[in-house]
Amino acid sequence: MGSPANPTESPAAGNAPPEVPPAQRVNRAPVLGDYFFSTLTGIAAAAVVGLSLLLVAVLVYSSRSTLSLFGPSFLWTTVWRPAPANVFGIVPAAEDTLLTSALALLIGIPLSLGSAIFLTQHAPTWLRAPIGQVIELLAAIPSIVFGFWGLIVLVPFERYRVEPALQGTLGWTGLFNGTPIGIDILTASLVLSIMTVPTITAISRDAIAAVPRSQKEAALSLGATDWEVTRTVVLPYSQGGIAAGIALGLGRALGETMAVLLVIGNRFAIPSSLFSQGETIASLIANDFTEASGPLELSALIEAGLVLLLITLAINLAARAYLARSQVHEGGFEG
Amino acid sequence: MSAIDPASPPEEIVRRQKSPGRGRGVYVVLVVVIGLVLVVVGANAAGLIHLYGGSSTGVCGGNVVLNGAGSTLVAPLMFQWATSYTDSTVNYNSIGSGGGIAQITSKTVDFGASDAPLSSTQRGAIPSPGVVTIPESVGAAVPIYNLPGLNAPLRFNGSALAAIYLGTMTNWNNSELQALNPGVTLPNAAIVPVFRADGSGTTFIWTSYLSSQNTTWRNTLGFSTALVFPAGIGEKGNAGVTQAVKSTVDAIGYVDINYALTDSLSYGAVENPAGHYVLANLSNIASAVQDSNVSFPAATGDWYNVSVLNAKGPQDYPISSFTYLFVYKDLGAAYGSSYGMSKAAALTAFLRYIVSPTGGQSQAAALYYVPLTAQVAANDLTTINSLTFNGGTIPVCSTS
Repeated sequence: MGSPANPTESPAAGNAPPEVPPAQRVNRAPVLGDYFFSTLTGIAAAAVVGLSLLLVAVLVYSSRSTLSLFGPSFLWTTVWRPAPANVFGIVPAAEDTLLTSALALLIGIPLSLGSAIFLTQHAPTWLRAPIGQVIELLAAIPSIVFGFWGLIVLVPFERYRVEPALQGTLGWTGLFNGTPIGIDILTASLVLSIMTVPTITAISRDAIAAVPRSQKEAALSLGATDWEVTRTVVLPYSQGGIAAGIALGLGRALGETMAVLLVIGNRFAIPSSLFSQGETIASLIANDFTEASGPLELSALIEAGLVLLLITLAINLAARAYLARSQVHEGGFEG
Repeated sequence: MSAIDPASPPEEIVRRQKSPGRGRGVYVVLVVVIGLVLVVVGANAAGLIHLYGGSSTGVCGGNVVLNGAGSTLVAPLMFQWATSYTDSTVNYNSIGSGGGIAQITSKTVDFGASDAPLSSTQRGAIPSPGVVTIPESVGAAVPIYNLPGLNAPLRFNGSALAAIYLGTMTNWNNSELQALNPGVTLPNAAIVPVFRADGSGTTFIWTSYLSSQNTTWRNTLGFSTALVFPAGIGEKGNAGVTQAVKSTVDAIGYVDINYALTDSLSYGAVENPAGHYVLANLSNIASAVQDSNVSFPAATGDWYNVSVLNAKGPQDYPISSFTYLFVYKDLGAAYGSSYGMSKAAALTAFLRYIVSPTGGQSQAAALYYVPLTAQVAANDLTTINSLTFNGGTIPVCSTS
């Protein structure tokens, strides 16, 4: 623990005490501008936290009439009957939301990981930048454009090519019952999967690119093949980043509104197959909000938004917990 | 940083010198763009003031702004009225019938518009002194379909349409539809019904008709602005239904007549109670209203069961309904002291203009809306004249 010769130079990582005191200025009195600056940043940080809390508070307050009327039964009621009946439950919408998002990830994760691994491990250097840019471009396309493309291009293709073929070959599974219309849960999931790919790919690519060269070279020197390097070194090392990318992609899929609304068929019912029409929570809100039958339906729609927020929050927390655990494992492995 | 050419500075330094300049450039562009937007907005606002400004002369005249909100179905007609009526500035916000009812209930607008009358719950939610119901135009729902190769309009009846939307009639070449359309080769293909996913006056008209034709429909689904259909795909707005039917072969949907006519969609003829297959047009919808000879409830009464469905005349189109405006019965009592007599006079003048056969109603047909019949217009005028301001009568201003 030799004190560093130059006090302005930050100590090397190895010598750092467990808690670094904040950087301090020498030879100068505190400046008024600094005081204002730190206050401003503090206000900004507080505003972000305050706004999030306010958002939840407003959702709870605005949905108080259905919260008190239906209580928890909102979470297991399967019908949405506007005025004059006024019975509301979230089950089919929540189910469709989770189902389309899960299917989207099922299709999107292999695509994203594949392209991320290709981009970082196998692609010739001159090809990496253009492909990376195309993927980032995909992330910048507004969701309504994806929806429109889905409606004009994907729906007829699904209706006349993919879905009859699926029904013919895999009809026995029961997943593909019903008339193939092309506007259904399967198509919505496909559109969502394409929308999640750029997010997951970009973040996974960065995570994989951060794997130290020494680790890969060590594996290669032991005679590992490319696939073995990827499996034993690259993926375990970057799994935290990949999980973060998947969590972000899932967030996009859960909350996606317009693209889903255009291709899912907007029928509030528990799906009987992947060819059933459905309605996610986000598309339910978008469809019904402006033409709500009365204050009670408005309140129910806001409560649906609250449920969506809680689902997203739960998934985020789960991803965070998984990340924390995997990082502990990683640390154990390294130490 | 080895091998630096002494003639040109190293790349890193060049970039450092360039980048602040580029950053400033971005800011300059940003500021210019924001400035331009502000100038345009400002000029527009100033222009609006010039356009609608007027001189103040007692209760009548003056620069009064009237605000309305609601139905998207009547929005094109309402915008036409707002433009052609020059005595006051009329702002109409086409946020949907449900929104219109919510806004008039919370007194944030001067009139609300809805394609469906108020239900008893909705009427109960409206604060004292309550609203009057003014039918202001007529809507009709027509079946549109996408069957390539068919030229003559298909014929439907109530039981076939109900069966299609119940999901019990699933194929186009079923015997019932074939019997209605002798000589037409119907495709052997699954029917794709398209309905409105959002709350809609068109759905109200459509499901009222299906309820009147089919007991299963009436007992299990009933009629409403929004209900969960047992089969088919849901789309948002008349535009969404039109788009879905246009792009989906074998689809059938329902839209408002003015939409079908504006967009030149082919739609089917529907059997009326006299046994004729009627292809909807403005005159046979008007005659249906005429022949229904509706006895109107009191202006402040319950209009939920007012119906011009299934009119008995031989040429009457069976699936039509009024669309409505809601205005507070006593404007002074409803809005309080900030609401002057001049505003009440301006509002009633605009309402008179809307229902007048030579005023607002004369512009309806050009936009494919069915004008009110003389009987309905006269009833509306009585309702408008009965509006009060803190219990007193509202002076009638002559329109320019």
